[in-house]
Amino acid sequence: MENNQQTMAQPRVDKVAFSGKAGEFFGIWIVNLLLSIVTLGIYSAWAKVRTNQYFYGHTRIDNQPFRYLANPIQILKGRIIAVIIFALFFALSSLSPQAALLLALPFMLLSPWLIVQSMKFNLRMTSYRNVRFAFHGEYLGALKYFVLLPVLAVFTLYLAMPWALKKMDQYLVSNISFGGKTLQINTDTSSYYIAALVAFASIMGLAIVIGIAVAIIGFIGAVMVGDGIDSTAGRGAIAALISVVMFALYFVGFALSGAIYQCMIRNHLFERTELPGVAKFKSEMQVIPYAWLILSNLLAIIVTVGLAYPWTKIRKAAYLAGVTTVAVYPAIDSLVDEVQQDSNAFGEEAAGLFDVDVSLA
Amino acid sequence: MHSTIFVQGQFQHAGSSTLYAAVAELSPQGMLHIRCTDNNTQLAQACPPDYRFGSAVPGLAVELRLRDGAVFVPSDSHYRWPRLSKRSALAERLESHKLSVVAALLLSPLLLWWIMVDLMPMLASAAVPLVPDSVKQQMGRQTFYSLQKTTLEPTELPAEQQAMVRYHWQMALNQLSLEQRQYQLHLFKSDFFGANAFALPDGTVVITDQLVSLLKDQPDAILAVLLHEIGHVEGQHSVRLIAQSLGATLVIGIVFGNPEGVADLLLGSGAVLLQNAFSRDMEREADQFAIAKLAALGKSPQAFADAMSALLASHGDDGEQSSALLKYLSTHPDTRERIEQATAN
Repeated sequence: MENNQQTMAQPRVDKVAFSGKAGEFFGIWIVNLLLSIVTLGIYSAWAKVRTNQYFYGHTRIDNQPFRYLANPIQILKGRIIAVIIFALFFALSSLSPQAALLLALPFMLLSPWLIVQSMKFNLRMTSYRNVRFAFHGEYLGALKYFVLLPVLAVFTLYLAMPWALKKMDQYLVSNISFGGKTLQINTDTSSYYIAALVAFASIMGLAIVIGIAVAIIGFIGAVMVGDGIDSTAGRGAIAALISVVMFALYFVGFALSGAIYQCMIRNHLFERTELPGVAKFKSEMQVIPYAWLILSNLLAIIVTVGLAYPWTKIRKAAYLAGVTTVAVYPAIDSLVDEVQQDSNAFGEEAAGLFDVDVSLA
Repeated sequence: MHSTIFVQGQFQHAGSSTLYAAVAELSPQGMLHIRCTDNNTQLAQACPPDYRFGSAVPGLAVELRLRDGAVFVPSDSHYRWPRLSKRSALAERLESHKLSVVAALLLSPLLLWWIMVDLMPMLASAAVPLVPDSVKQQMGRQTFYSLQKTTLEPTELPAEQQAMVRYHWQMALNQLSLEQRQYQLHLFKSDFFGANAFALPDGTVVITDQLVSLLKDQPDAILAVLLHEIGHVEGQHSVRLIAQSLGATLVIGIVFGNPEGVADLLLGSGAVLLQNAFSRDMEREADQFAIAKLAALGKSPQAFADAMSALLASHGDDGEQSSALLKYLSTHPDTRERIEQATAN
């Protein structure tokens, strides 16, 4: 193909392309929703696979799409296991809080295994140019970064949390490989602290705004009541108004601080990550547009009682693709999948019971 | 298929990222040959058991996979292979056909509604007898213990008022021939709960000093309140509420799939609204139980209305406001609605 004419070591630099359409995906979503309901949830495994196939297939780097390879039966198995675990935990914690406390410890020890399992499964099911991704993390590493560090961070009054988050990201990224090459990551602790600080400051700023708003509403309420308007009705209306405003501000705060943290961290992470000799990444997220995207998506979902969900999902994917640039080096044209050793690509041989992603979603 | 078909596309060997512009040639018998466009060399060949088509997803090309892991993808994303499996083709047709999309749009909410409102409560009721008594005992004991530690203080009621409440309690248990052993009445002072009463799944019923004082001139109203709480225990509402909430959470989680961050929040509040709806249904059930049993004891259902009116008056202004919004945020039905129900009987 035209790739052969490229001079060596000159990267092809382009934005990630996303070609999914809201109308098209709406049809997929609503039909799969109905089929999932009618089959009491069983079809939801097929629905998940088709949804992922749609989003992966419409995401292209260097004009080549991603592929999602999971078999719905594997997804179904994972879901059944997840439902059983979840139901047991839910029932036990409702019936007896003490028993739930006792269960928390084994669950904490189990969760790193679930994380590793999920990463392994999902990356192995992701293919680009017929080469699969792979995750090489092991249980002990996940236990260290996802259980021990956060628990220790609590004892520092969360002051060490940004550092723990950096370690988690490093652990996840540096264990991902593609075509025999491992991602290299070199993130700064300071960037995580700055992101956390700015996000925290935005919440504090908003809290002040909330305080002023409540005071003003309270004042208006007092004036209205003083004017002799039916006092009970007035007070009730004000109480309702305050709770609505608080609720709205809570969402805004959630969206804003989340957007700030995600933008700063994603940009930094992409800047400092590379697949040696194969690809470099760049992310140019901006806080205000992204916060607006999150917030307006949420509003759209509320206003349409959920029907806007497909549109919001497409919109978010399109935005994230649009702010992401990948530089692909010619080495990409001659990678060999080192993961794929099984002789049968159809996956007919019985996968192990736990060759699944134990997840409800 | 009477003639051989030729499809333009790209080919990749198993586990290799190298791309070849290629033509796939499918004979009427299903023999597959893939040739490189540039130099016409054969890249792969396979007979029907050794190749398969990927899923047909709207807007995406359908890949052709070989058993060894090689892949051929047509250049035209709208191209559909004539030998595509029926199921794969059907899923895509349903997803892209206007009629089926509209049908799904209408049917999904209706079915979901039916599952939440009818099926879930039904399944929950069926599941409740499966919960052993010992679990309910345990639940009641633990909750009672933590409440005693946190929000309940010893009663300060005069002895004659205590005796009056216990007399009505005993009368209700005797005449309704309920198991004495199972039911236990406790009187507590509680600033946290105010004028209130509640029941635990093991048959423990608590009524606060504040409520008894409020109703001290209307003994039948106290009886009505006690009957309402007995109704919760008889209906095994605590366990049913848990079962229903679990069911609803699972349905929402599975059906709506991955709620990404923001949707998470939304589904969370949805689950709370739903749980409150379940709770309101159970309050109504307990109300009906109380009203029916009042009649069986030869009392007027008006006694229940009196209890509610007294509560309404004591809660004052905030209790009187029941805007549409607040109604859905409440765990109890509107008090005036409850009074009307009692007086209608």
